[in-house]
Amino acid sequence: MEDLKDKIDALFIKVNKPTRYTGGELNSYIKNPEDVKMRFAFAFPDIYEVGMSHLGLRILYHLLNKREDVYCERVFAPWVDMEKLIREKNIPLFSLETKTPLHKFDFVGFTLQYELSYTNVINMLDLGGIPILSREREGLPFVIAGGPCAYNPSPLSEVIDFFVMGEGEEVINEVMDAYVDWKEKKGEREEFLEIVSQIKGVYVPKYYIEEYNKDGTIKDIRPIKKGVPEKVKKRIVKDFENVYHPEEQIVPFMDIVHDRIMLEVFRGCTRGCRFCQAGMIYRPLREKSKEKILELTDKLVKSTGYEEISLASLSTFDYSQIEDLIKELIEKYKDKGVGISIPSTRVDALSINLLKEIQKVRKTGLTLAPEAGTQRLRDVINKGITEEDILEATKEAFSAGWNNIKLYFMIGLPTETIEDVEGIADLAYKIVDNYKKVRGNVKNLKLTISTSTFVPKPFTPFQWARQDSIKEIIEKQDLLKKKLRSKVLKYNWHNPYMSFLEAVISRGDRKVGRAIIKAWEKGCKFDGWEEYLNYEKWEEAFKEAGVNPYFYANRERSLEEVFPWDVIDVGVNKRFLIREYKKSQERRITPDCRLYCTGCGVKDFDEGVVCFEAPKKQIYKR
Amino acid sequence: MKRLRNKYTKDERVRFISHLDLLRVFQRALRRADIKVAFSQGFNPHPKISFGPALVVGATTEADYMDVDLEEEISAEEFKKRMNKVLPPGIKIVESYEVDVNDPLSKRIKAAEYILKVNFKKNCKDVENKLEEFIKRDAIELEKETKSGKKMIDLKFYLLDLKALEIKEGYLKLYIKLKLEEGVPNPLNLLKALNEYLGDVFEMDSYKLHRKNIILE
Repeated sequence: MEDLKDKIDALFIKVNKPTRYTGGELNSYIKNPEDVKMRFAFAFPDIYEVGMSHLGLRILYHLLNKREDVYCERVFAPWVDMEKLIREKNIPLFSLETKTPLHKFDFVGFTLQYELSYTNVINMLDLGGIPILSREREGLPFVIAGGPCAYNPSPLSEVIDFFVMGEGEEVINEVMDAYVDWKEKKGEREEFLEIVSQIKGVYVPKYYIEEYNKDGTIKDIRPIKKGVPEKVKKRIVKDFENVYHPEEQIVPFMDIVHDRIMLEVFRGCTRGCRFCQAGMIYRPLREKSKEKILELTDKLVKSTGYEEISLASLSTFDYSQIEDLIKELIEKYKDKGVGISIPSTRVDALSINLLKEIQKVRKTGLTLAPEAGTQRLRDVINKGITEEDILEATKEAFSAGWNNIKLYFMIGLPTETIEDVEGIADLAYKIVDNYKKVRGNVKNLKLTISTSTFVPKPFTPFQWARQDSIKEIIEKQDLLKKKLRSKVLKYNWHNPYMSFLEAVISRGDRKVGRAIIKAWEKGCKFDGWEEYLNYEKWEEAFKEAGVNPYFYANRERSLEEVFPWDVIDVGVNKRFLIREYKKSQERRITPDCRLYCTGCGVKDFDEGVVCFEAPKKQIYKR
Repeated sequence: MKRLRNKYTKDERVRFISHLDLLRVFQRALRRADIKVAFSQGFNPHPKISFGPALVVGATTEADYMDVDLEEEISAEEFKKRMNKVLPPGIKIVESYEVDVNDPLSKRIKAAEYILKVNFKKNCKDVENKLEEFIKRDAIELEKETKSGKKMIDLKFYLLDLKALEIKEGYLKLYIKLKLEEGVPNPLNLLKALNEYLGDVFEMDSYKLHRKNIILE
């Protein structure tokens, strides 16, 4: 063991950014592994800088380590330089805290945030000395997974031993307790899987079968073991006010993507954008009280010394007491040089005015997401803002002194036409005109237009829709490249091949899973990284696995089709999704459900599930 | 406003954090310790903290210096105590004393002493004599990367002392004393030159470097 530690220690000098692997950061845990009953490796299938920026990791790491009988350590995907070295020297992938090989843990828990990290999941297991297939793991750790992508567990069902659906704060403790019990009784591996299959929220893939029709669609997905649930219901934290939120946070030595305090102010989103998976799967809406947030902020500032607090949620300006909260935070921390940041900006004047206050302490960029270029298409996707809102908000921002604004759009949305794509450029130029009106000239203006490509996702009203073909996407991007040629504009677009792969995998079934393994065998990893995506290898992998990727990405589904994820219940029911899908085709909008309940079904999901309702006067007009 | 000069150590656990990382470490520690630092004036105010010349990444130190200007009245002893409570494991202030606010650290630092250990990758005979010959040359030229490109410098001008502390089958341990200021060659530059002189005998990425002392004027 000491020998291995020395070997690992000798690697650090040879790699780029060694603090990705060294551990030892402030507030990370040092425990003696011999003092605990369970060793849990929290595995993030991307590099340190990305993984450490993830709130879920930060919550579960501290939550697990609060338990005396558990030691939770971290492991990230090693960057290619480190991978090359450890493969050459036959050193297994190790944890940051104690440099323990992955195969020595009791659990390896992956969080699945992005479909293009799946080859990294497989690669990390392989590097860690764990067989990549679940059925070959006798005597080795249990490999488990959660996170938003786990809601379609099918593609990784041969790799992951069991999935945990929904919010982890409570169920992870239930799984840990069950493990202690099982270990003390010296049970068989199979017995443990049987035990956890009875825990609410747990999906054990091998207890279910996916059957297909002749045309390749799914005929049925059903349990093949007695006593396991027909449908696995996700877990919801009912008491969000008091649920565990860390009072300390690891402070990395190196600069990471989100290098600041992350404080979750609410969970769920009420806007109901029809393309947005997060907006559906994280329901119901639950807020923390302002008092709770202030109390947590205080503790987090003291324990980390961070210079910035990010108020995290899917749409933070929708927080019912946002004005008071921001004012109080500024008042409290401005003398300490601690600023506030808000991950996404609502497109309205109120938000801009609040940002004005925020940036008195710390300069902040401004990012708005109109998502679509025309009112017609914004109505289709239920993005409840008008062109007036956008123009008014940007004008307000220019008057307040901003020169750099970023605008996010999506291309390839259902029903999109060339006019809608051109509408993105038209809107950009209207904003430029606005700047000219406010400032007299456009000398200092820098307007960044970014387009991502629509990826139909499970559990959204657009889960039946087709994705544009790669050719169509490229044509639309080329059109925008031409239209947005200007000194004051910058156009960024997303790699169309990545969006295509994301679409194949996000609605993939178990057959797609075999293609992912093939792609990994061919050397694919870091597929979400421009410089490492190798699309030709993916094409070969699909061919060899007998998978037609276009069938998954570019085919419109009928409303009757059975989906791989139909075995999971996220609370929002299919009737609601169908209703929303149909309304989108009629260009009918559905109001924000902070105004009144729109009947998504999550309220009836389980006893004690309550949607947050703000006092009436604080609901903003839409 | 008062200025405290602090001597700090950085051990094995944190030897890979960079100079820039270290600045953040101290800024955040100051906030955790709830100590009021003076800020520079201007459009983008920053805390008045200054360090001596950067230590190479991967090296440890037991005698680096950092100056900090404080807005509040706090004794050097109290400062040291409060900071050590909140600094990450591996970084520690060992000495703290007040200096004049017009006494810049950069003007004080003169030289540094290092211990450098490096593994041999092949046999090298008569190391001691060769070392002496190496130092006795009229010039020790080496190529150094600078902001404006590569340039040749004479190491001899910076080298104050060099001797072998241990010569073993597998490794060599050196004592090195070099002038220290911004932009001067570091012990690794010296190691590279020595390696070339000895005929490529070292495993260059196996070194362990420790800054033993910084000499202030």
